Amino acid sequence: MKEQVPLLEVDGVTRDYVAGNRIQGRKVFKALRGIDLNVTRGEILGLVGESGCGKSTLARLVLGIESPTAGTIRINGKAISSYGRLERARLIQPVFQDPYSSLNPRMTVGSIISAPLEVQSQGTVQSRRNKVDELMAAVGLSSHLRSAFPGQLSGGQGQRVAIARALVIEPQILVCDEPTSALDVSVQSQVLNLIAALKESLNLTVILISHNLAVVNHLAHRVAVMYLGRIVESGATETIFSQARHPYTHALMDAVLAPEPGQRLPDLNLGAELPSTLTPPPGCSFHPRCPCITEICTHIDPPGVYINDHRYFCHHPCE
Amino acid sequence: MAALLDIEGLHVDIETEDATLQPVRGIDLSVERGQTVAIVGESGCGKSLTALAIMGLLPRRAHVSAQRIEFAGKSLTGLSAREWGEIRGNRITIIFQNPMTALDPCYTVGSQMVEILRQHRRITGHDARTYALRLLEQVRIPSPLERFDQYPHQLSGGLRQRVMIAMSLLCKPDLIIADEPTTALDVTIQAQILRLLSDIQQATGVGLIIITHDIGVVAGIADKLAVMYSGQIVEYGSTQHILAKPLHPYTEGLLRSIPVPGRVARRTPLGFIPGIVPRPIGVLTECAFAARCPYVTNECRRGPVDLRRVREDHSMRCILPGDGTARDPDIWTRSLVATTP
Ligand SMILES: Nc1ncnc2c1ncn2[C@@H]1O[C@H](COP(=O)(O)OP(=O)(O)O)[C@@H](O)[C@H]1O
Ligand SMILES: Nc1ncnc2c1ncn2[C@@H]1O[C@H](COP(=O)(O)OP(=O)(O)O)[C@@H](O)[C@H]1O
Ligand SMILES: [Mg+2]
Ligand SMILES: [Mg+2]
Repeated sequence: MKEQVPLLEVDGVTRDYVAGNRIQGRKVFKALRGIDLNVTRGEILGLVGESGCGKSTLARLVLGIESPTAGTIRINGKAISSYGRLERARLIQPVFQDPYSSLNPRMTVGSIISAPLEVQSQGTVQSRRNKVDELMAAVGLSSHLRSAFPGQLSGGQGQRVAIARALVIEPQILVCDEPTSALDVSVQSQVLNLIAALKESLNLTVILISHNLAVVNHLAHRVAVMYLGRIVESGATETIFSQARHPYTHALMDAVLAPEPGQRLPDLNLGAELPSTLTPPPGCSFHPRCPCITEICTHIDPPGVYINDHRYFCHHPCE
Repeated sequence: MAALLDIEGLHVDIETEDATLQPVRGIDLSVERGQTVAIVGESGCGKSLTALAIMGLLPRRAHVSAQRIEFAGKSLTGLSAREWGEIRGNRITIIFQNPMTALDPCYTVGSQMVEILRQHRRITGHDARTYALRLLEQVRIPSPLERFDQYPHQLSGGLRQRVMIAMSLLCKPDLIIADEPTTALDVTIQAQILRLLSDIQQATGVGLIIITHDIGVVAGIADKLAVMYSGQIVEYGSTQHILAKPLHPYTEGLLRSIPVPGRVARRTPLGFIPGIVPRPIGVLTECAFAARCPYVTNECRRGPVDLRRVREDHSMRCILPGDGTARDPDIWTRSLVATTP
């Protein structure tokens, strides 16, 4: 089998946030606690987990918006810290959850989409105009919206603008952080269809972040399940869905409610909330919420188990 | 037996600077004790205004009219402020999407709960405290004693929503209206909150109206489903019937949009409803859904469509055959990249 060099490599990455002051006491939030992750060219990688598990932090790190506390992130084999800002922007671009707060309300749709070209000093006024037209068509925005302001757009249109802006400089990687969480399901489906179609036509690599496993399951080739700053299970989407070994992955699967007659509400038994990243539980960090807990889970970090591409960290994997 | 809540012909009109809106256009709805009714539809369909109209909480420039809004056999129209005080927060309670709009940031969770109780009941401070703590326990809040003395901002979104549910239960209401109670929450928290509401509903026999824009979540909780579009109920019936065989194109479109694991093949296009929910300006002159409906024909444009009964306990507002024939569920995926207008 031919080993492909990963397009994006995340290697032992941690990220701490320090808050507070000397008087109130210094607090260290351990947002990421040792992330190893590869993303292969041309794939959609789904990143899934509850709020606060570190998905957006990881997104900001791979985008180079922030730096890791430890570890390295490489694109095309080169540390992202060694790329210049403009160079990095041509490699990797974001789409965020809320189009209203991520789009400048005082700029027109046309100027929002062409801004990255201007920052990169690419093309002429006319060629930039053509490029904007081309992208607006590609993301399904009718051309009369070119002079509209973000406040005049629906949520779905706003997200199309954000996608067009991200793609205008033809990046290799698109990082979509909860791109549909603020949208109605009828609009979510259009945005997901669009991401899938653009990935094919532009040969993009996509990191798709969502707290909803159903969304990730639909689009992603591979899935990484995050819990409290770590990846607790990862593998091919098909494997994760048919042979998940981590109890947390099972809980996320059970939490997906389907509009099927006879569907029952699950009894997740997860407790009311996620522990704090300020004081991650010792041992397996999932143990306070885990139905399979035994003594060992409370003090020994489970080692990784690797079966081909499937990887999980659990003392008592589900059969 | 008379229904707990019985609404007929509910209209809400709102005068705005540029137009007269009709966000609620003649809603009939009834809820019985021990029953859960879900109102489902995209954002902007008039779900929240319907809830606010029932509660007598509409904004001042909104005008409400109805043939009947009865609660436990008594009319809710034209009540005085004092009479509303007996009902609102006491017999009927409401849970909002964002608990922070209903919680006072300046008071602890416990003092707000005690205050509500003392407003509606003759009860000593000590008894109120004991009772409030018991409810925090009932909604499965860990370390309730500690939470009792905390301020709303010290709680996570999921815990705040549990506090809201505990508060809504304080006076043992007959009816709870939950307006998008889980929309801002993680799917794991959502499933647990819905489970909690469903358990409480079963234990207490309270009537429950759940409002959501996500038809994906109603299956396990609602007995009856009212699908709302542009101020009207376009399909109504038993949840199981509608999910098994949606009759109105709008319901079909909503269901086709959801990536159901195991049912929709991976990486195949999902269904979608082209366009957006229109601003409800003025009187309807055609089927409200005609502009977005892939089944549309000239006949749909001739005038508004009536809600008609197609079988026992199932009605819809569409001219397509009531037996479910002449439908093509794949119609919703035909055009891959939709152009939004
Ligand atoms: N700027 C910051 N300052 C302090 N803590 C932060 C900051 N950003 C994120 N965190 C913490 O890091 C953790 C992960 O957050 P985040 O990456 O936003 O998670 P997710 O996107 O999965 O919801 C959380 O516990 C959060 O409180
Ligand atoms: N206070 C208001 N003033 C003017 N229009 C309003 C007001 N509240 C709601 N609307 C309009 O009424 C329609 C229905 O709103 P709402 O009941 O909030 O919908 P939903 O809860 O289904 O999302 C929307 O078009 C909305 O813009
Ligand atoms: Mg996030
Ligand atoms: Mg609403």
